[in-house]
Amino acid sequence: MRASWIGVGWIGVGRIGVGVALGVLVLAFPSLVNAYWLTVAILALFYAIVTASWALLAGYAGQFSFGHMAFVSLGAYTSGLLVMSFGVPIPLGIAAGVVLCAVVGAGIGYICLRMRGPYLALFTVAFSEVLRIVIVSENEVTGGSGGLEVTPLFHTRSDAPYYYLGLVLLAASLGLMVWLVRSRWGLFFRAIRENQEAAAAAGVKVLRFRVLAFAITTSFAGLAGGFFGHYIGILTPDIGSVDQMGLVVAMAVIGGAENLFAATVGALLCEALVEALRSYEQWRLVLFGALLLLTIRFARNGLLALAYQALKQRGLRGLVARRAAS
Amino acid sequence: MADAPRPIEAPMLIEARGLSKNFGGIIAVKGLDLAVRQGELVGLIGPNGSGKTTTINLLTGHLAPAAGHILVHDAPADGLSASAFAARKVGRTFQITQLFSRMTVLENMLVPGLARAHSTWAEATRTARRHLEFLGLSHLETLQAKNLSGGQQKLLELGRALMLDPEVLFLDEPFAGVNPFLRDEIIVLIQALHAEGRSFVVVDHDIEAIQRLVQRLVVMARGQKIADGTVDEVRANQEVLRAYAGV
Repeated sequence: MRASWIGVGWIGVGRIGVGVALGVLVLAFPSLVNAYWLTVAILALFYAIVTASWALLAGYAGQFSFGHMAFVSLGAYTSGLLVMSFGVPIPLGIAAGVVLCAVVGAGIGYICLRMRGPYLALFTVAFSEVLRIVIVSENEVTGGSGGLEVTPLFHTRSDAPYYYLGLVLLAASLGLMVWLVRSRWGLFFRAIRENQEAAAAAGVKVLRFRVLAFAITTSFAGLAGGFFGHYIGILTPDIGSVDQMGLVVAMAVIGGAENLFAATVGALLCEALVEALRSYEQWRLVLFGALLLLTIRFARNGLLALAYQALKQRGLRGLVARRAAS
Repeated sequence: MADAPRPIEAPMLIEARGLSKNFGGIIAVKGLDLAVRQGELVGLIGPNGSGKTTTINLLTGHLAPAAGHILVHDAPADGLSASAFAARKVGRTFQITQLFSRMTVLENMLVPGLARAHSTWAEATRTARRHLEFLGLSHLETLQAKNLSGGQQKLLELGRALMLDPEVLFLDEPFAGVNPFLRDEIIVLIQALHAEGRSFVVVDHDIEAIQRLVQRLVVMARGQKIADGTVDEVRANQEVLRAYAGV
């Protein structure tokens, strides 16, 4: 039977085939790789949630925060402390971390209302450092630099349950973010990014939506932090460090900060790349840095957006050639 | 269509009482009284630095006055945000066109449409397309705003303001940098919108265009109102001549 008879067409069949194959690969991944690469995949899923939520804040809402990893840290420590000190069930601990991050994020968004560009970045770096130093200093509560041991989510020999949970969390987070981006709120976020004065003149409540952008995106960071903490089993102040934040920014920029899927795939690929180049030791960071510089110079919307455009152009040229031939 | 009420009898839309604003030591607006009634088409002119744009910024919530009061529909509007003025049907355009550059023409129109209370996507899209048709921009709706010509950008900014269904619209230099044909087109569009019952305050340096358009002229110099009347009254005003030409 010809595929076009059922209204799909060969290109559609090809896409469905690739989709199904990818789906099977993703679901079967834990049984295809060793424990090391499974750990890398789980960390990649964690980074993907953080990077996508940062892309929503910086790429869509135009608020270049350098404190996103501080909220990962806040979510992780909130859950860890509640579970370890008060015996709160882990899901409730993670939920509390999400709520606290949303509240603190809203506060930071409110304080930063009149800050843009480098001022906002500097403010959030300062917030990030203050939080890190508090965690280091309050070692009786947080374990300081030595770290805080946290109960794991699953008591299994394999990490596969973490992988599937990470997958579900990423899918759910992305689903919510895409829904948000396509809603009127998403339109207002982009309008504020483009021109705050014009957005206000158009009736957009700029204060409300800037605060909302912070609260929503930092709550995703808190969720990722909670998941990370109860997977790794030990929390250190380094999670919220500027180095980690730089890594997330690089992942988003290389993928494409103005597209949620590009940022997500950017995070997954960068994490895999960093691990694949581990044998090069410090040189892998140099290579990674060079890739970042080249992306900023030649593909400001990210490498994946550039690749997508190239494929689209090729597809269009093919379509035109086919139509001309017929 | 029924005749519009004569402005003098028409309800007050927006009013400034003793409005002042200074930036550091520079007085931009000083003790300004200005009222716009329903159906009025007012020209606001004055030499550079006379406080025209600051006045618009004050009357649309983009700046907070240092002294004085603003009333919209006779209700106090002091300290309201720009979005609150927009919600009260006070629209504006900017001296330098301010668009959402990387958003499409239709998305630019949808932002104010969806910012209105109880609006829906379907209704906002319908209204946006109607206004784009009126402005002659329908065929460009999927284009990014940054790819429009300067004149088209001016029209889009006007269209975006129309999405608020404004009762009073402040246009800051709508004829600046546009060719004479487009200028005439903009005049016709403003006249058509005025005939629908909307009020306008038009700021521009193109005195000829302003004279063709408005019924009432307000002249500012050094932050103060120095004349307010018909075009002929203002022309005969010696203080206006002095302000403009140092006569």
